[in-house]
Amino acid sequence: MYKVLSTVKNNFLTTGILLISALFLFLPLIGATEFSLRDGGPDKHSFHSYKWIFEQSGFKENLGITIQVTTLAVLLNLLIMVPTVTWLHISGQKYRRFVEVITILPLIIPVVALATGAQTALPSFLHNTVLELSFMYVVIAMPYSYRALDIGMSGKPLNTYVAAARNLGASWRKILLSVITPSIWPSVLAALFLTVALSLGEFTLAQLLHWNTFPTWVSNVSQENILGATALSVGSLFFAWLLLFTFTFFGSNKAESAKNEE
Amino acid sequence: MTNASLVAKGLGRRFGTVIALNNFSIEVPKGELISLLGPSGCGKTTALRIIAGLERSDTGEVHLNDKNISNVSAHLRNMGMVFQAYSLFPHLNVAENVAFGLKMRKVSKSERTIRVNTILDLVGLGHHHKRFAHQLSGGQQQRVALARALVIEPEVLLLDEPLSALDAQVRTNLREEIRRLQIELGTTTLFVTHDQEEAMAISDRVGVMNQGGLEQIDTPDTLYNKPANDFVASFVGTMNHLPAQLEKGTIELFGKRFPTQKSGNESGKVNALIRPESIKVSIDETSTNAVVLTRSFLGAHSRIICRTNDGAIIHSLMSNEYSQELHPGNAVRLEILSKEIMVANA
Repeated sequence: MYKVLSTVKNNFLTTGILLISALFLFLPLIGATEFSLRDGGPDKHSFHSYKWIFEQSGFKENLGITIQVTTLAVLLNLLIMVPTVTWLHISGQKYRRFVEVITILPLIIPVVALATGAQTALPSFLHNTVLELSFMYVVIAMPYSYRALDIGMSGKPLNTYVAAARNLGASWRKILLSVITPSIWPSVLAALFLTVALSLGEFTLAQLLHWNTFPTWVSNVSQENILGATALSVGSLFFAWLLLFTFTFFGSNKAESAKNEE
Repeated sequence: MTNASLVAKGLGRRFGTVIALNNFSIEVPKGELISLLGPSGCGKTTALRIIAGLERSDTGEVHLNDKNISNVSAHLRNMGMVFQAYSLFPHLNVAENVAFGLKMRKVSKSERTIRVNTILDLVGLGHHHKRFAHQLSGGQQQRVALARALVIEPEVLLLDEPLSALDAQVRTNLREEIRRLQIELGTTTLFVTHDQEEAMAISDRVGVMNQGGLEQIDTPDTLYNKPANDFVASFVGTMNHLPAQLEKGTIELFGKRFPTQKSGNESGKVNALIRPESIKVSIDETSTNAVVLTRSFLGAHSRIICRTNDGAIIHSLMSNEYSQELHPGNAVRLEILSKEIMVANA
């Protein structure tokens, strides 16, 4: 990756395009940040609007719920998807097409239908528990996490790894945890990122299933205060980045060795 | 290190309509190295994978030290295996790869370190502990794989064409090393290969497989000189097939009568099987019976391909000393040096 970047760096056109893209990405962000820091007019700046966020009722509770839902969604997702995709690669090849089609369905089915479906199909003991929303987030993250894992496993001699590990005395649980997952670590991280990003920002399903999550809360409070709403957007963006950087930091050591092999 | 005897009885395996293994039985006594040799698709790898527990068999049993282990899961069989494909775990370094099996067996960290060090020294990779698979050559990767399979002190070592992906010189070195280690550690070993030279060079006995069954299992010497049937004769080494007429158990070739392995009251059309090194080609203008087609220089020997006056193509292998004057187009005289000739039904 770095090598590729350094060879094209000299290319004037590429640098130009990169610069324009960066401006396109950062200018609105800088503008929004500046706007969110305004205090009574364009000349005076403070963290007034950010303070306002924390003063609104429900901030902690809703953020708490979102973090719970996100954590559960990520865990459930990996717990379901890693073994499934592994199985598809080592012995279920003929079902791959079928599963691929299934994983696209959440993109095609309207969210309203999904929400209605969730209320009728999910077992009643899950209703009104955090798991209800987590399961739904696993479903809507499936197209992304499936592809991330599928790409990671394609081209890897998983069958040989599995045979070697079994031969060396590893149970299936051990194989998934200490052979498959670490050897496709970058893909596992990608699946995790995508699920996190999706759960942190999802609004429609939460609203339809009557959940007060962070995004629904943001939507409610931001109707009263335009500066506060901007501060919220900027704040959640930085929060999401911080989260992703943390994941990357913790995942980088393993990712490094797995990536080197390619 | 423990050494065990391995017995497979009547193994059968079918993939759809393809019969991969058909009533395959083999016995590997303690400490012996037996090779399974055969063309691709003959079922040798399937047999090995069934023995390792990585593949189920439709029929038959696998016994280890007189204990039926057919229903024991692969991860509990305590067999070491080296694969044809590079199988080192990419996220672990050499030492961690080798320690993997010990970790699964809950061997203490201090003992793990000692055993990993010892085995890595033994395979000549004492200074590569911290390297990752992508930093090693193919030969080194297979050495690590071998160390990883041996460090668990397996009852049986299973080698599934571990040298196929390597280049010629590395392959020769590593096969000698495998044999040295195998003798040193006394590990009962089953070695699958399609390379007959490899099988002959390092095995106590070689089993020749064809279409899911064992054709013959014998010492390399016997296999080459006394093949049990036409398939083994043709598969192991080069073999000339010369049509001949069997009369009372003997055949006539190039004006000379030879005894065969057939009994005295058998007659009919047969193929005489003759090794290239048993055919002498000489320039003798008085009684020629063939023409030289090509002569290829092979180092110490030359391969001379001739066409007999009857139209049969004959391969001869001769020392260069005696084959220098032979050139394509020469009319020559072929002579058979063997005392007895093996025949196969035509």
